[in-house]
Amino acid sequence: MSFLAFIFRNLVRQRVRTVLTVVGITVGIVTVVALGSVTAGFRQSAGSMLKLGGADFIVAQKGSADLSFSTLSRRDRAAVEGRADVERAMGVLFDLSRVGANPYFVLFGVEPAQLAVAPPTLEQGRVLADGSTTEALLGSRAAADLDARVGSTVSIHGRSFTVVGIYHDGNVFLDSGAFAPLATVQAIAGKPGLVTALFVKVADGADPRAVAVAIEEAEAGLTTVSSVDEYGKVDQGLEVMDAANLAISVLAVVIGAIGVMNTMIMSVFERTREIGILRSVGWRGSRIMRMIFGESLLLCAIASLLGVAGGVLVTRALLLVPAIASFLEPQYSVALFLRALAVGAIVGLGGAAYPAIRAVRLSPMEALRHE
Amino acid sequence: MSEPAGIDVTGVRKAYEQGRIQALAGMNLHVASGEYVALVGPSGCGKSTLLHLIAALDRPDEGTIHVAGHDLALERDLSHYRARHVGIVFQLHNLLPTLTALENVQVPMFETGVRAAERERRARRLLELVGMEGRDGNRPAELSGGERQRVAIARALANEPEVILADEPTGSLDSTSGLHVMELLESVCRGRHATLVVVTHAPDLARRADRIVHMLDGRDVPAPEARAVAPGMAAGTPT
Repeated sequence: MSFLAFIFRNLVRQRVRTVLTVVGITVGIVTVVALGSVTAGFRQSAGSMLKLGGADFIVAQKGSADLSFSTLSRRDRAAVEGRADVERAMGVLFDLSRVGANPYFVLFGVEPAQLAVAPPTLEQGRVLADGSTTEALLGSRAAADLDARVGSTVSIHGRSFTVVGIYHDGNVFLDSGAFAPLATVQAIAGKPGLVTALFVKVADGADPRAVAVAIEEAEAGLTTVSSVDEYGKVDQGLEVMDAANLAISVLAVVIGAIGVMNTMIMSVFERTREIGILRSVGWRGSRIMRMIFGESLLLCAIASLLGVAGGVLVTRALLLVPAIASFLEPQYSVALFLRALAVGAIVGLGGAAYPAIRAVRLSPMEALRHE
Repeated sequence: MSEPAGIDVTGVRKAYEQGRIQALAGMNLHVASGEYVALVGPSGCGKSTLLHLIAALDRPDEGTIHVAGHDLALERDLSHYRARHVGIVFQLHNLLPTLTALENVQVPMFETGVRAAERERRARRLLELVGMEGRDGNRPAELSGGERQRVAIARALANEPEVILADEPTGSLDSTSGLHVMELLESVCRGRHATLVVVTHAPDLARRADRIVHMLDGRDVPAPEARAVAPGMAAGTPT
């Protein structure tokens, strides 16, 4: 019999309690994995969105709570486009509406000529024709959702568009939305002359970082976003999700640790006499501690593995709902799974600490006298 | 003393509940190496307390205890002492209920660095020694009282200690089973030249010892003094 087998034997003696504790921790880990993968998906999408049209960074209105609330005027566009260190600045207006099953369908208003410089990868058809007002370039997810193909007519935000091409970018927001002529989208949104952001490509030889800083210094009302880590400048959504993620992780740790502590305290209390027996046959306090920590960690390791598997299953199951699949693309990473296992380990160590100390502090005789 | 002492207890005092209960009041005991001694006396006279102090399960308030050359007051690692030098058999077997007989016998060997395969091999051999071959896969609940005590004896022998301490090992057994257990305990200790100290209330079993030590009110007393208090037990002086 190995020490691990001995630990396992102790866990299975109270099967119902062990199973319930594992279930409790598993639910916490599932939450950590599910929310973590969703947040990572949003971050990844936001990050790849910054590269739209081959841009080095975006320029948006300073202090916007959400990127879609940002508005840049013609003067702002001219100020950025007129810089010598800027090769091009594609103005894009975002217009959100429910289309098909997607409650967050984004219609990207762009100048067709600007989009043609660095268009998304086309699966079918062509890009928007210069001067067109009713053409739309549809993302692959949106096309699947709307059952549309080249030549189809789709209704977006109360306006009919003819699908001239279908693209696939890999970004869930882009692929679930569509591009349309800027002037048309400005009319739909009631924002004539305005864009949401400028997607800036710097001139050859210029340092994108330096150009971004220079734009911020020159234009007090504008801000630049070069990476997803800077997204908080124009959109608190990711920060809120990150904060929620952290809060859920902390809650999972605290609630899990309390559950494990409860289980381990009861277990140690019930086995006080047995602990006395182990001490009487020569077991050191350190081995008793290893036994209790081992039981707790084994419990949490099982829960963590189940939680990781459950988290993946839950998020995959969510994607079966079309409305969710249209804007959600969970991202699983080794770092996320390690974080889930770390949560499990912290729960295991935290939950076992007090019971282990209590068990070791008992003198062998006190423990043996326990009934 | 020409022979090296197995156990030397000198002037040991032990009180509980802030001195209100004086369990041992200047107890002296010398047991030669390999000797078999029965500790007898009325309930509450301190026999079990003495055994627990010799087993280092508790510490005396005063006095010294030397066991197999170890001064327990100076012993830094009492767990190591308990694992290596003494084996204990309790009145109620004190086996772990979730483990089989074979696994119970292996438990003391975890702390002495014995490898898993060797632990199992040694435990099987000990169970054979106590006549429990074929029952090694049974849990305590599946064994009779006598069988449990046999397993407890095998467990006490696991690390080949110099001293075996038995606290009323037959107290929960019928007379026939008790006699068998005592015969076994005696034979395995004599076979290994281990020192054996047994606490017992049974005169017949005490008579089997090399020597009977009488205790009264926390001290060792001469047999006549004990006889005045516990005539039945005093009659158990070895012949």
